[in-house]
Amino acid sequence: MTQIISRQDLLSWLERLIGERIVIAPAQSNGLVLFQRVSRAEDIVLDFDNTVLSPKESFLPLSEVLFTVAKENGDIKLMPATVAEEMVLFGLHPCDAKGMAVIDQPLLAAPADDLYQQHRARTTLIGLACSQAGPECFCTSMGTAPDDPSNLDILLTRVNDSYIVQATTEKGKALLPSDLIAQSEVTAPPPPSPQAVPTEGIVEVMRGAFESPYWSRLADRCLHCNLCAYVCPTCYCFDIRDYVDEGGIERVRSWESCQSPGFTRLAGGYDPRPTKGARLRQRFYHKLSYFPEHFGHLGCVGCGRCVRYCPVNIDIREIINDIQKLGAQSEC
Amino acid sequence: MQEGLTQQIREKARELLTSAAVDCIIGYERASDGLTARPLFAYEPNDVDKLIFDQTCTHNLSRFLVDKRDSTVAIVAKPCDSRAVNLLLAEKQIQRERVYVIGVVCPGIVEATWGQINDRLQARCQLCREHTPPMYDFLVGEPTAEEPPVEPYHDVAELEAKSVAERQSFWAEQFARCIRCYACRQACPGCYCTECFVEQLDPQWVGIRVAPAENEFWHIIRAFHLAGRCIACNECERACPVNIPLSLLNRKLEKDVLELFAFRSGLSAEALLPLATFKKEERLGMGE
Repeated sequence: MTQIISRQDLLSWLERLIGERIVIAPAQSNGLVLFQRVSRAEDIVLDFDNTVLSPKESFLPLSEVLFTVAKENGDIKLMPATVAEEMVLFGLHPCDAKGMAVIDQPLLAAPADDLYQQHRARTTLIGLACSQAGPECFCTSMGTAPDDPSNLDILLTRVNDSYIVQATTEKGKALLPSDLIAQSEVTAPPPPSPQAVPTEGIVEVMRGAFESPYWSRLADRCLHCNLCAYVCPTCYCFDIRDYVDEGGIERVRSWESCQSPGFTRLAGGYDPRPTKGARLRQRFYHKLSYFPEHFGHLGCVGCGRCVRYCPVNIDIREIINDIQKLGAQSEC
Repeated sequence: MQEGLTQQIREKARELLTSAAVDCIIGYERASDGLTARPLFAYEPNDVDKLIFDQTCTHNLSRFLVDKRDSTVAIVAKPCDSRAVNLLLAEKQIQRERVYVIGVVCPGIVEATWGQINDRLQARCQLCREHTPPMYDFLVGEPTAEEPPVEPYHDVAELEAKSVAERQSFWAEQFARCIRCYACRQACPGCYCTECFVEQLDPQWVGIRVAPAENEFWHIIRAFHLAGRCIACNECERACPVNIPLSLLNRKLEKDVLELFAFRSGLSAEALLPLATFKKEERLGMGE
């Protein structure tokens, strides 16, 4: 027996949740599907390929005040930012849930990033299994799958006009609307099969490819914008700046990326990654070498956003193939 | 016809690389979706068979000339792209003898995103006035008679007709989506500053905060820095992941410069740029 909820009841449940807490869900905005705060369940888009931006924005906002410093009666007070309100993030696909699990590793390892931890703790993740794979998708090569419930609190899988409900955590179970859920004999349809990418052994092969001229040739066409990093569910770098005015100081962090020219420029002007090739290489070494060496799995989840949106078609799937070939050649 | 263009480009490229007249050809190859195009840097005669030209070749490759200014390169240039080459020459960013321009008579570029082609011409191509490049060293394709577009600024005029408050709220809504990835800047052949004002620390013109005031500041200054310089290739808008209609801003300024100075950027490498030129007899129009 499986638990199911009808499409109509799902919307009623979401309407109920919107009344109780912040609900972030995919919704239309100028022809794009983006995760945003919704105030009506009817605005939520249930069938979509993938949002333009990943849901990481809900946990690591584009910009966020870390703390404020103010003068009060001659004293200087430092007030850390806090986030308290309960939140539901609805509609993320398993690749994006895996993306959150990837970012958790550096940001929740002690000493944890306090604000990120608060955002994560207050949020329940309700995911949607994918009913089809886009031409850019390759999640099954990156340790997750279109129907993977493992990094979510609840996974919904569409079957005709209903959804199979799988609550995998206590947090998820606590949120389920028992009055709207029925028991059923239905089984989930087989998940779609995204394209496979040869990731096996890539970490070892990457070790030998660092000095290859491949990277500078690839970087010829790279524009060195931050687009790939900003649409990516696993990129988590940021910059910090203080905003000072008469009222006090705000310390703000905003997304930043290894592709931007000033990212590694040090005081005095020295830059350990001064060339386009060195910067582009860093992106792929972080995901396919440094991250797995530290944390035991690849730092890419195969959502395909960078493949789809890169203005000059720098395609990580192609790079993995090319590096495997380079590795095979050097063994001969 | 387009297979003919590809063949002619390949032959010229092979000749230039074989004779070592250039170090590299900047052209187009098929993208990883098997449908659209992407930039190709061909260094060896063996690479030239990857070169293509068709109606998906949207990129303005002149954007790469500043990166390659220490080499001698050949570039495949559509008419709009060759206007950007003129702009870079007029602004002394590249040396004429180091750039060999393979101009292409342009059939117009279709709307496409990765993995998807729409057969409709891009809006900028529907408004095109030059199907033959204004400058080139070698021309591919047969020039045809030009028909000037009807009402090229109709959408700009619609926006101009709105009240200040309406325009403000329109742009506030558009800029609110900006994630400040700077893909618009990086795709632009006219944005070649070694350090962009937005990243300068001393003085700090605009902070890193992604918020309405900072986003608006970024977009206004970006557009103004391109006033009288933008050649309307619209690569900025194409690169934008969140569909901000940058062409509206760019073309508003293009229209103003056309009306005030009777000037369109990039038609000649010798032209004086109106906003970078001071003439003693010019009056500032501020009651002097």
